[in-house]
Amino acid sequence: MNRNNFWIHFGIAVIIITFAAVLGQIRRWETSLRTTKITEKSIKSTTKPNAVKRSADDREPEVLVKFRPGVNLAEINKIAIKNGDRVEDNLEIVKGLIAIDDLDNADAKTVAEQYSQMTDLVLYAHPNNEIRLDPTEKFNYSGNTYSDEADINSPNDPLFREQWALSNTGQNGGKSDADVAALKAWLKTQGSENVVVAVLDSGVDYTHPDLISNMWLRPGNVSQYKDNELGIFNDEHGFNAAENQSDPMDDNGHGTHCAGIIGAEGNNDQGISGINWKVQIMPLKFMGRGGFGTTKDAIEAINYAIDRKRNGVNVRVISASWGSTGYSKALEDAIRAAGEEGILFVAAAGNNSTDNDKRPHYPSNYNLPNVLSVAALDRTDALASFSNFGTKTVHIAAPGREILSTWLNDEYREASGTSMATPYVSGVAALILASEPKLSVEKLRERLLKSVDKLDSLNGKVESGGRLNAAKALGN
Amino acid sequence: MSFNKDSAVREAKTDLAKRLKVSESEIKEVSVSETDFPDMSLGVPVEDEMSAQMISTGWQINLNADGENYEYRADKYQLRLRGFNGTNYIVKS
Repeated sequence: MNRNNFWIHFGIAVIIITFAAVLGQIRRWETSLRTTKITEKSIKSTTKPNAVKRSADDREPEVLVKFRPGVNLAEINKIAIKNGDRVEDNLEIVKGLIAIDDLDNADAKTVAEQYSQMTDLVLYAHPNNEIRLDPTEKFNYSGNTYSDEADINSPNDPLFREQWALSNTGQNGGKSDADVAALKAWLKTQGSENVVVAVLDSGVDYTHPDLISNMWLRPGNVSQYKDNELGIFNDEHGFNAAENQSDPMDDNGHGTHCAGIIGAEGNNDQGISGINWKVQIMPLKFMGRGGFGTTKDAIEAINYAIDRKRNGVNVRVISASWGSTGYSKALEDAIRAAGEEGILFVAAAGNNSTDNDKRPHYPSNYNLPNVLSVAALDRTDALASFSNFGTKTVHIAAPGREILSTWLNDEYREASGTSMATPYVSGVAALILASEPKLSVEKLRERLLKSVDKLDSLNGKVESGGRLNAAKALGN
Repeated sequence: MSFNKDSAVREAKTDLAKRLKVSESEIKEVSVSETDFPDMSLGVPVEDEMSAQMISTGWQINLNADGENYEYRADKYQLRLRGFNGTNYIVKS
């Protein structure tokens, strides 16, 4: 190679290397851009959970059999061969769950019954086409424990695994089953668009892609809101008492976070799942960008909810993740009036680590038959260090620390507070109402309190002594 | 109004000087620290106010004038004065 050729080759090599480096950097930028939309705090896993979606396609295995713990794969193979079947797949997502393929043309139901009768070896068996993400009636478990079976019911939302409050598997230092038992609850219902939950807060970003399908829209047959003093509002999306206008768009993020806990659309292949996969969230804005507002505006917004109820909108729950130590008779009367309309009022107990029996916090301390006061738990079932408590005035506890939910600008964020515990209770109330729409507010409140999981950490701290349990509240 | 740490400290000094009717140069910055507050009133609610019960990060600004200490609290949307003559104030929001 002469000197001129050397420099030509050297130049080409430099260009290729530079091009490769630039390409690599572009890919890194692309990756970075894809991830910046998800939360300020680190969310380690964005992979989809292994939701089981199977059709009745001929190529699919015909029967799913859940074997008892201790029955190993070799034994299962032997059983399958003896029955004229073969093991199609060991579904690792649920320990002991095996997909069985029938080889002698028996129908799936018959095969399932054959396995179901082997009660010393098998917990349950059912035809494959009955496994779906809407398993309301056809799941027929015979075992004592539901935890593994319920895994089948995980929604496909990619951040679901970060939602320890819904399904705590001990992830990130949590305690297994220190959750509201959402998976088991969803076997009965995943919510209903007939139930309206008013989120009385800083508004809600009703355009968030994980919320938009579950946002309330004023039905065509319900007239615009008219307030004798404030005038007529085209309340298409809800109401904004903070600025006396119709648009309840959130400019803080807090209300959007609470709304996501109640009803981020479930199983929609994006973000998180609310405790209700389907529900209607009515944003009532009374707090501004700073996350605070006046008692008067809170009352205006409650009046709005009552008015809508009287006009045929099925508002059954007001979720109130706010408060202060100032007593207001007017606010108490407004909440009482909501109760008389059949609306449960779920309120945050407060974040001062204090005893509400001694130092009242409002509105959670109003002694009304429709008020539920909520303390916060962490992922180990301990009362959160910031949470207020009170055996007479705080009624129930729910997850409230490091809670992932929707935020402004299509984002997701972790947040902590009794603010976050409150919408879990509101959300479970909505789930109950999806299943039992006629339940009175008194019965609804009683159901939530009587179905808690009693915890040592809450003994002498909250009236019910327990953590919210959605599955038990649904009688599941 | 949107704050960062520096602008919150500046606003706090200006506010305190006005309240005490002294020159800003007489206001000393004792400490400024990032802190978690119990709610969105930054733990210092004013009368007739309700606030979101979410743990909120902001700045605690401790100032001194003529030997007296004063505490301001701020986040990106607000600046508050704690317990000035026994009363909390929203300085700016």
